[in-house]
Amino acid sequence: MLRDVFKSMGGYESYGMISMIIFVVFFVLLLLYTISLKKKDVENFSRMPLDDFSKESDEVQEI
Amino acid sequence: MENQTFYYDNKIVKNFAYATLFWGVVGMVVGLLLALQFIWPSLSFGIPYTTFGRIRPIHTNAIIFAFVGNGMFTGIYYSLQRLCKARMFNDLLSKINFWGWQLIIVSAALTFIFGITTGKEYAELEWPIDILVAVIWIVFGANMIGTIIKRRTSHIYVAIWFYIATFVTIAVLHVTNSLAIPVGLFKSYPIYAGVQDALVQWWYGHNAVAFFLTTPFLGLMYYFLPKAANRPIYSYKLSIVHFWALIFLYIWAGPHHLLYSALPNWAQSLGVVFSVMLIAPSWGGMVNGLLTLRGAWDRVREDPVLKFMVVAVTAYGMSTFEGPMMSTKTVNAISHFTDWTVGHAHIGALGWNGFLTFAVLYYLIPRIFQTQLFSKKMANLHFWIGTLGIIFYAVPLYWGAITQASMWKEFNEAGFLKYPNFLETVTQLKPMYAARAVGGALYITGIVLGIYNLVMTVKAGKFLPEEAASAPALVKTEAKRGSGEGIHRWLERRPVQFTIIALLVVLIGGLIEIVPLYLIKTNIPTIASVKPYTPLELQGRDIYVREGCYTCHSQQVRPFRSETERYGEYAKAGEYVYDHPFQWGSKRNGPDLSREGVVGGRQYRPNSWHFNHMENPQRLNEQSIMPVYKWLITDDLDISTTAKKIRVMQTLGVPYPAGYDQIANDELMIQARGIADDLRSQGIQVEPTKEIIAMIAYLQRLGKDVHAAGSPTAAITGK
Ligand code: HEC
Repeated sequence: MLRDVFKSMGGYESYGMISMIIFVVFFVLLLLYTISLKKKDVENFSRMPLDDFSKESDEVQEI
Repeated sequence: MENQTFYYDNKIVKNFAYATLFWGVVGMVVGLLLALQFIWPSLSFGIPYTTFGRIRPIHTNAIIFAFVGNGMFTGIYYSLQRLCKARMFNDLLSKINFWGWQLIIVSAALTFIFGITTGKEYAELEWPIDILVAVIWIVFGANMIGTIIKRRTSHIYVAIWFYIATFVTIAVLHVTNSLAIPVGLFKSYPIYAGVQDALVQWWYGHNAVAFFLTTPFLGLMYYFLPKAANRPIYSYKLSIVHFWALIFLYIWAGPHHLLYSALPNWAQSLGVVFSVMLIAPSWGGMVNGLLTLRGAWDRVREDPVLKFMVVAVTAYGMSTFEGPMMSTKTVNAISHFTDWTVGHAHIGALGWNGFLTFAVLYYLIPRIFQTQLFSKKMANLHFWIGTLGIIFYAVPLYWGAITQASMWKEFNEAGFLKYPNFLETVTQLKPMYAARAVGGALYITGIVLGIYNLVMTVKAGKFLPEEAASAPALVKTEAKRGSGEGIHRWLERRPVQFTIIALLVVLIGGLIEIVPLYLIKTNIPTIASVKPYTPLELQGRDIYVREGCYTCHSQQVRPFRSETERYGEYAKAGEYVYDHPFQWGSKRNGPDLSREGVVGGRQYRPNSWHFNHMENPQRLNEQSIMPVYKWLITDDLDISTTAKKIRVMQTLGVPYPAGYDQIANDELMIQARGIADDLRSQGIQVEPTKEIIAMIAYLQRLGKDVHAAGSPTAAITGK
């Protein structure tokens, strides 16, 4: 289906192919990167909003 | 490591929070007035300043840029400081951001009232205000990046990535879409025309939804949801994928606003494919948000903040599912140009943005006022009334949309349109419009309760303008990448580089979508019979833009038999090449007008009909919901601008002969006298110098050139 789409672009098939490649490469890199993250780091990152070191904010009770 | 003590700036947060509430009420009350005008058109009060076409941009812009915009700044200024463990970079920049933004909003409202508009949806601001927006936006960005640079944490938390993406992308979109050549201080023509203008505009429109209404609020979700639930986000890895996939994919999907239009097919298909793919990251984000609350549902039942968040995130999931569905050609054939789009937008605006904004306000106002929320009960009541309001708002509109679309498409046994009179399909919807107005009123009631609750909270508490905090200073990390450190780890510690990469990712998608339209001349086949507008028609067209007729009328016949039967020849890319700006519109509360001037066509009306109709639509059709435009009859046309307008058009490539600007007004008067004479022969006395003459000239021009080309109505797909 995509191939037909690119064909209809009138002499710019390679444009479509290049776009497609950029697209796939992007996601492969993204997944590789995410998988490679260290578990401990990720845990620390995700705790960031919770310890914001404010003196006041802990004294304020939940509403 | 020694702890440093510093102070969070809560004053700027408070200011933005107050502005959010104020503009929220203004924007929604105007919305309610618009809703009521569909039931009682006389509520346009017969004066220009309150007609539908002029106040609809006030409503949309007030909600998007004033309510949601200030809400976004409230949340960002609060969370950014805390996530960076640093005060905002510069207090003066914070103040300029705040006051500049309010100035923009006030100027926007004033200019729209006076009909000063570019006529491009959600980008209606004229060029001087556009420049102000760009400046203030850069102030915001500089302040944010400055804060990130002086932070006391090593990692930049994912919420901030969303803020950065918001900043860079909106900057690019705003500048690209606003490129225009001024005719005067309050009028400009966009450099793009027709199909190109439409593509750029909806690339902007779609991504403004993405990067103004979505990414900043996802950032807020990633901060405030864990905070309110007191537990980390369900999966941080998922949030990373969510971020990059979302900003990469979103930007490709703009053309889904232009399906079945004169836009080249490949661009439409690209839009469909990417829109459907967008479901994945969007739902990834929703699931991440909701799963954060796993095992904490008892708290959700207790805590109004979490309640608002759950509905907000669910509404996000609903609209990001519905959006891609509406981008498929099958659904779009039905939904486009109906109130389905309006319903869809409001699930997003009322549910996702509105509820998340209130969750944030209920969370942070008691905190910066060092007290507790005045009444939890009242917040719960707000929650339920608001939810009910959303349902009452959206369901009737969906129902009405499907009703109207079927009526537009229905044929009788003899093969004729069953409802050839467009107005019938509008009258049918009046009960739905009434229910929608009730929904809106309920939602506003909720907001009023919320404001009362927050005011009482403020009164009971004591404001803490400078909130002390302490953290160890950040050890200066090497500018170079340490060994064994991933690129992303390095990147995410370096805000400027991160910003540039995010920008590149966004640009790739944007360019892939837009570049071919510039490269391929053949994308827009020229039609020999399509000629530039005469000076009088050009002036009339500018009045059409000024009055915002595009907020109710489309100029874009889709290639369905039901539409060519009703209106005439379907739209060709080549017929819009002189349209600066394009006026395709996005909904049809009135019939399409692009074939209005075709003599002998299905919609043709004599000059005198137009005159009487503009003066008082209800006199011709009692049920009509079109506002009266009687000032067009009494107001003189400003022809001092004609020569300049012609010259600007020439600069933009419209082929008026050299020196035409000098004789343009002579030609204008000749054509105007012709129309006035014709009206006189029908018993209507009006001077040729009045605005109505130009408006009639423009309406009578619509569609003429394409039909002169003599192309048969062929190649019709579907109904
Ligand atoms: C609130 C929505 C609304 C706005 C704004 C609006 N119209 Fe209309 N218009 C309608 C409706 C509904 C009809 C059909 C009923 C009728 O003919 O009055 C209509 C019909 C028309 C028709 C007749 C079309 C036909 O072929 O039957 C013309 C021409 C027209 N409008 C022009 C304009 C112009 C020009 C403006 C801006 C100055 C404008 N309209 C603004 C709702 C609107």
